[in-house]
Amino acid sequence: MNDLINDLYQEIILDHGREPRNFGECDPHNKSADGHNPLCGDNLKLTFFLNDQNIIEDIKFTGEGCAISLASASLMTEKLKGKKIEVAEEIFNDFTNLVSGADEDLKVLNEEDSLYALKGVGGFPMRVKCATMAWHAFNQALKD
Amino acid sequence: MDNSKTLNLNVRKDFPILSKKILEKKDLIYFDTAASAQKPNTVINETNDFYKNHYSNVSRGVHTLSVESTFRYENARKKVQKFLNARSENEIIFTKSATEGINLVAQTFYEKFMQKGDEVILSLIEHHSNLIPWFFLRDKYGVVLKFANIQPSGEIDIDHFNSLFTNKTKIVSLTHLSNVFGTELNENAISICKDKNVPILLDGCQSAAHLKIDVQKLGCDFFVFSGHKTYGPAGIGVLYGTENLLSEMPPYQGGGGMIGDVSLEGASYAELPAKYEAGTPPLVEAHGLGVAIDYMNKIGLDNIIEHENEITKYAFNKLNKIDFIEIHGGDNKRNSIISFNIKNVHSHEVSSFLDVEGIAIRAGHHCCQPLMKHLGVNSTARLSFGVYNSLEEVDKFVIALHKCKEFFNK
Ligand SMILES: Cc1ncc(COP(=O)(O)O)c(C=O)c1O
Repeated sequence: MNDLINDLYQEIILDHGREPRNFGECDPHNKSADGHNPLCGDNLKLTFFLNDQNIIEDIKFTGEGCAISLASASLMTEKLKGKKIEVAEEIFNDFTNLVSGADEDLKVLNEEDSLYALKGVGGFPMRVKCATMAWHAFNQALKD
Repeated sequence: MDNSKTLNLNVRKDFPILSKKILEKKDLIYFDTAASAQKPNTVINETNDFYKNHYSNVSRGVHTLSVESTFRYENARKKVQKFLNARSENEIIFTKSATEGINLVAQTFYEKFMQKGDEVILSLIEHHSNLIPWFFLRDKYGVVLKFANIQPSGEIDIDHFNSLFTNKTKIVSLTHLSNVFGTELNENAISICKDKNVPILLDGCQSAAHLKIDVQKLGCDFFVFSGHKTYGPAGIGVLYGTENLLSEMPPYQGGGGMIGDVSLEGASYAELPAKYEAGTPPLVEAHGLGVAIDYMNKIGLDNIIEHENEITKYAFNKLNKIDFIEIHGGDNKRNSIISFNIKNVHSHEVSSFLDVEGIAIRAGHHCCQPLMKHLGVNSTARLSFGVYNSLEEVDKFVIALHKCKEFFNK
């Protein structure tokens, strides 16, 4: 099989694409945002609960999309749960750099991270938006 | 190839891009002609030649280059007139795209013939280009939009369509060939409009290069298409309109070239077709479109259509036999387009997987989100064929599909 395809669809991506974790809606939640990819119609709704110490206590998503967008959302919720908001923002920055091929000086993510599995998206520029949809929703929710 | 049939037409060599290797080793199989067609050498060389040897602005100066440019631009209009069998060159307006043509009609037709509460009939299978310009009328002026249902076959439900007319219906706008299903518009839809004396616009984006177009026989009042889907350049489109309507409707944009006489108090407008062509037009692209039409005529539109029908039928029959494939739009005759899904695999995955095999297909909602909602899917994969495709390519595609299904369901 082609290397590019194997890099894009690592086992963990296929797994999370088929069975996304943290799928649903947080109850209660105090932050939410919709993610939407106008190019293909994929969409998701992200909800999370930010406690008074600015820690993401719980985070979930629902939606429909391709394996890349579902896996990215699923892995994102796993990674961000329990994180302080400042750390989560750094992860957001690192992740967007990682999938757009600017992965030289990442601050908090490293090759041990499951999110690193999404690096293969860099080989498919048209798919970067799939991988970042959930993350932009997260960023949007912080701003609202 | 698993059958002994080959097709008569082999024009691959006319399209230089088809010798490109994808990812340095895979032969390109281009199955995305419905999004945009590839360009033959003649179009590439002739547009080059225009810039090298004849280029200037059109209809402005009196010097030699202006004459040469104007000749080419107006000659392209003649070719389009013949291509569509319009009565006169005055009925051929150059636009930048089909999209612009629809916006032009929506705006200027409204201005002349409509008011708040008047109705427009569209359908569920329309491209966003044939929805949003009408949404503008609804949002800005209180025009009422009605949408004809579609049948599972992908065809417009003619009875429902017929039931939508009232004495407030002012115009109908429908796709001539669906960019999702590849199905042709039922001719009855046009005759119903004729009977009720309501003008009809046909979105001919997908039909212009894949069906024989005769606007007089069709009996439509407007017909739009884009040059880039008919083997010509992007940036040029055509609006056909009957001289009657085009004469009555007001100009669309203001600028140079569309005026008769200007003083500071006002202006009179140019005659057709210049009235609708404000500003310097995409003149080289217009010439390129003319050359593309010459190219299609040289091969023969009948031959092109027969060739594409063979491939479409062949691909349909193959896909129809595969149990993990779901084809959208029933058993209707398709014209060069097939939409499908691999069960349980998102169309994005299919498209990326095929891409590394050198196969270009479209994945997504095809700018038809209301239709996707109706189908209950959020995207489909779409195959679309052009004059340069072959049965061997379909065979390779089918093998790749099996590999794809295996990969994602492992
Ligand atoms: C049926 C249909 N209508 C309209 C359009 C819009 O064409 P363009 O973007 O060239 O204006 C397309 C092309 O995608 C189409 O397939």
